[in-house]
Amino acid sequence: MMKDLERLTFRKGDAVAIGAVILAAIALLIFFLVSAGNGQAHTVRIYRNGEVIREMPLGENGEYLVTGTYENLVEIRDGRAAITRSSCPGEDCVHSGWISQPGRSIVCLPNRVEVRIEGSTADDEVDAVIR
Amino acid sequence: MPDRPEFQIYPESPQTKGKIEKNGEERLKQKRTALMLAMLLMISALGGCSGQKALNKYQVTLLDYFDTVTSITGYAEDENAFTQMTSEIREELEAYDRLYDIYHEYPGMVNLCTINSHPGETWTVDQRVIDLLLFAREADEFSGHRTSAMLGSLLQIWHEAREEATQNPDRARLPAEESLREAKTHTGFDLLEIDPENRTVRITDPEARLDVGALAKGYAVQRIAEKLPESVLISAGGNVAATGPKPDGSDWIIGIQNPDGEGYLRKVALKKGAVVTSGDYQRYYLVDGKAYHHIIDPETLFPSEKWRAVTVVCMDSGTADALSTSLFLMEREEGQKLLERFQAEAMWIGKDGTEYFSPGFRKLIKD
Repeated sequence: MMKDLERLTFRKGDAVAIGAVILAAIALLIFFLVSAGNGQAHTVRIYRNGEVIREMPLGENGEYLVTGTYENLVEIRDGRAAITRSSCPGEDCVHSGWISQPGRSIVCLPNRVEVRIEGSTADDEVDAVIR
Repeated sequence: MPDRPEFQIYPESPQTKGKIEKNGEERLKQKRTALMLAMLLMISALGGCSGQKALNKYQVTLLDYFDTVTSITGYAEDENAFTQMTSEIREELEAYDRLYDIYHEYPGMVNLCTINSHPGETWTVDQRVIDLLLFAREADEFSGHRTSAMLGSLLQIWHEAREEATQNPDRARLPAEESLREAKTHTGFDLLEIDPENRTVRITDPEARLDVGALAKGYAVQRIAEKLPESVLISAGGNVAATGPKPDGSDWIIGIQNPDGEGYLRKVALKKGAVVTSGDYQRYYLVDGKAYHHIIDPETLFPSEKWRAVTVVCMDSGTADALSTSLFLMEREEGQKLLERFQAEAMWIGKDGTEYFSPGFRKLIKD
């Protein structure tokens, strides 16, 4: 009788097991969030006139000079991308700063260039940006 | 989970059958294991797919319309379906962009540039031009003539100075005050005749010009958005319009970029409606290190010094566009009265960076 009751009550082992499962779940979640956010898996695609002219991994530092009506220097540093130098009037693209999230892009309208981080945005992320 | 096979929690194996006590303990253990498996499954389901339909989110960037960047975000089963929807939006955007263009004419089309280039002449125009100009007349009235499509002669001078400075920053100059004052005498909606019945338009003053920069983009986006299904987000320059909630019923999140650095000033969440920002950092040029932006106060004839930026949220994108410019040119009290007339909300950013909100704006902010 006593033994039966014991079996039905909550034991130390149960707590440890449940804790382990929750920890594992959290670790898994963090892993997915981090691997989605750190840019290792993401690709920077450079478009000119709507066509892809270059693809670069966001996880590797590098640069690429886009030529055309004007010149845009696309730089990738530490999982972020930017147009850091441009010969276009106004240089709005340079002023746009750095991007790191999938779905974000930088545009140089005079040179008809878009630098875009590919990948779908998480649904709690920003869908559009107003400048 | 009706479609999934049930877990076999109690396998009746011959080995355990004999030992009743041991079997009981085994069952409890197995129960626990099953429970944990179920928990894990639930967690991964939450992380994985939130909607039932297999819809993917897509976005396309367009560079050809309204002299700005347009992006369309939507959901579709595959890329083809999305491309089909966006190609229709593209056609519409192109039509509106050309009809409302004040700088270029297009073959076989009477647009605002045609009307501007031939003051005194009566032009039969597309219904969409009439609709825009009637809306512009309303905006002129409700803004106390601040947001007027008949300020073209004045705005043209600033536009040319800005263009010259952008091409050649060393030669940047301010417009001469006398020329601005002279241009002001050729402004006002009484210099435009609109005949909706005959679909004709005429500028009556030889020096007067149309300039619909403060509202045409927002108006066009509104007209296009009205024809679209739910779950589409259009962003044209500073104008964002949502046609309805995302497929799972959730809000669209719109980030209002911090003009002085990375990140967002605020994020706004809404299912349907428009968000528009007018800011002194959007279009400007520098003369002797001082920035002169594009929102000209028709009273002072110079860029307005009242605010850094004003963001307006309301149901109609055209109204939001006109309101953001109007509020940018007004004191807050007057702007608040205008907001109430249109059940709109606003956020003002002062020159020192201080944020002010209309009473209902905070509810739209997403932390």
